Formats: sequence, C-alpha cells, structure tokens
Amino acid sequence: MQEHLAIASVPVQSWGECYEPEAALRVGTIFRDLDKPFFAALTDDQPYSRCDQAASPEQQERERMLLKLQESSFALDDLRLYLDTHPEDGQGLAVFKERLAERKTLLRTFAQRFYPLTPDCMADIYESMPAMECYCWQKGPMPWEGACV
Amino acid sequence: MWIYEKRLQYPVKINKTCPKTAQLIISQYGGPDGELSASMRYLAQRYTMPVKTVGGLLTDIGTEELGHMEIICAMVYQLTKNLTPEEAKTAGFDAYYIDHTTALWPQAAGGVPFTAKEFQSKGDAVTDLTEDLAAEQKARTVYENLLRVITDPEVREPLKFLRTREIVHFQRFGEALEKTKETLDAKNFYYFNPEFDKHF
Repeated sequence: MQEHLAIASVPVQSWGECYEPEAALRVGTIFRDLDKPFFAALTDDQPYSRCDQAASPEQQERERMLLKLQESSFALDDLRLYLDTHPEDGQGLAVFKERLAERKTLLRTFAQRFYPLTPDCMADIYESMPAMECYCWQKGPMPWEGACV
Repeated sequence: MWIYEKRLQYPVKINKTCPKTAQLIISQYGGPDGELSASMRYLAQRYTMPVKTVGGLLTDIGTEELGHMEIICAMVYQLTKNLTPEEAKTAGFDAYYIDHTTALWPQAAGGVPFTAKEFQSKGDAVTDLTEDLAAEQKARTVYENLLRVITDPEVREPLKFLRTREIVHFQRFGEALEKTKETLDAKNFYYFNPEFDKHF
C-alpha cells in the first residue's frame, strides 16, 4: 500500500492468529491483532457467568445452547466483514465455511429442542414433527428479556 | 429485506435496576454517536457507492449496527424494568420518565432527541468513508467514557464488546477506503467525484 498526501490511509489487515469462538465473543473480535483493550476495562474480574445457576435445568440447557449459537454466529459476523474486504483470502474462507456448517446444525437443533430463532427455522420444526399443529414463531422468550424472564 | 433472528448478538442479563446507568447508556441508542445513527448512516450511504463491495460492506456493518441498537435497548429496558415510582423520581431518570415512563425512545444522555442531523450521507465515496472512520472513533470514545463511570460487570461486559466492534469497523472502513482509492488516480484523488461524475 502506498501512502499519499491529503487522504487517509489504513493498512490492510493480514490473516493472523484467531481466538476460539468463545473467547472471540467475550472480547468482541476473533482477530487477536484487532483486540486492543481499554485501560479502564483491564482490571475487570473474570467475566460473569451468563448462565443462571438457579434456573431450571431446561432453561440452563437452552441458555448454554443459545450461547454456543451466539459464539458461532458472532465468529461468522466478524469473518463476513473480513471477507468483504479480503474476498481472496483462502484461510479466512476455510474458517468461515467451518462456522457456517456449525451454525446451521445449531440453529436446527435449537429449533427442534426449544423454539425457532429465524422464520426459516420453523421448517426444521414442521419437517421433524409433521403432526405439530401449533404456530410456533411466538414460542420462547423475547431476546431483550435477559435476566427478567 | 431483513430477516429477524430472535436473539441478541451479545447476551445481556442485567439483574440490578439502575435508572441512572440507563440514562447514560441511552446515548448509544439515540445520541449523536449512537447505534441508531450508525446504522442509518451506513444503510443510507450504500446505494450510491461506486465500488460494489464497499456497498456490500456498508450493508453488513449497517445490519450489525441494528443488532447493536437492540443490545443497547435491551440494556436500557433491563435497567429500568422493575423501576419503582420512588426510583423514577430520584435517580436522574426523572425527566425521561415523565415523557416516556419506561418505554424506549431514542435520545442522547443529555435529553436531545435523535435526529438525522447526527450523520451524513454526502454522495462522495471518499468523503463518506472518511466520515465513517470518524464515526467509529467517536462511538469508541463514548463507550470508553461509559466504561470509566459504570461499575456493574453485567453492564460493562456488553459495553466492552461494543467498544471492540468500533475498532474492527474502523479497520474495515479503512480497507474500504483503500479499495476505493485503487479505482482513482493517485496523482489527484479529488479530480472528480466517483459517485457523481460518471463520465470519468
């Protein structure tokens, strides 16, 4: 990249070391090179547990699976932006494909066990349970309820 | 077209009611450098971008910002859900409460309502991408100001996540600017406007 007068320049990122999906969601990026913490956030204790230990076993299981889905979906969100500006990057594309397959399975399993997260997930439910007569889109808590469910 | 997915991009679980914190972080919903402004900025700018993949990047970042708006709204909602009339009166949330009770309404921490004046869609790819770089930096600063004053870890964790996203988006907009520059003459990037002067 060549720099020029009177216009901004940002170096183009090269593929580097990545966080696992779990750590990536906690940090806010899968890329170690882009993890630049703020001093006033460095002293924080270990991140709090996102799963409520007092909740019913079913809710705990649901929240664990949802967290897994959030981790794998977030890795895809971050990779998508990377690939938008690095469409030729084979290493990025390989990880992207891996996460895509993982998310697809998680979405289907979550829908069949709990409730559909996207309108298309309803197809997974009706295909596996053709006798089911109820309209299932409104099942499950609203995502903004968090600890208030 | 957008498709709703019934989950937050980052989990939000806040147990402790705190209208004061809600009043501060609502700025990242409807404030000058908030997520509503961010999503509207990128989703407005994308139509006339001369480089197709830059329009695609603006679509993807604009979509992620809609998800961030939802995270901030979920935080404000959870911080005020069990608000007592007494807390509404004393906590610095009183003026907001009078007009909106505990409903969500986009405004800045100082009470200024959301307005499209907070962002630009100028119709020049270099100008707009430079604005986007600045917008990500401004939002990062707001998250850092929030992290200096807020102590509850249940609130800090999502704020830290959102702050990192600003840095990642800055990097991507920088790369988008580099891509746009490749299509222009480096001797004078400003000889014509690539979004308007199509005969070049």
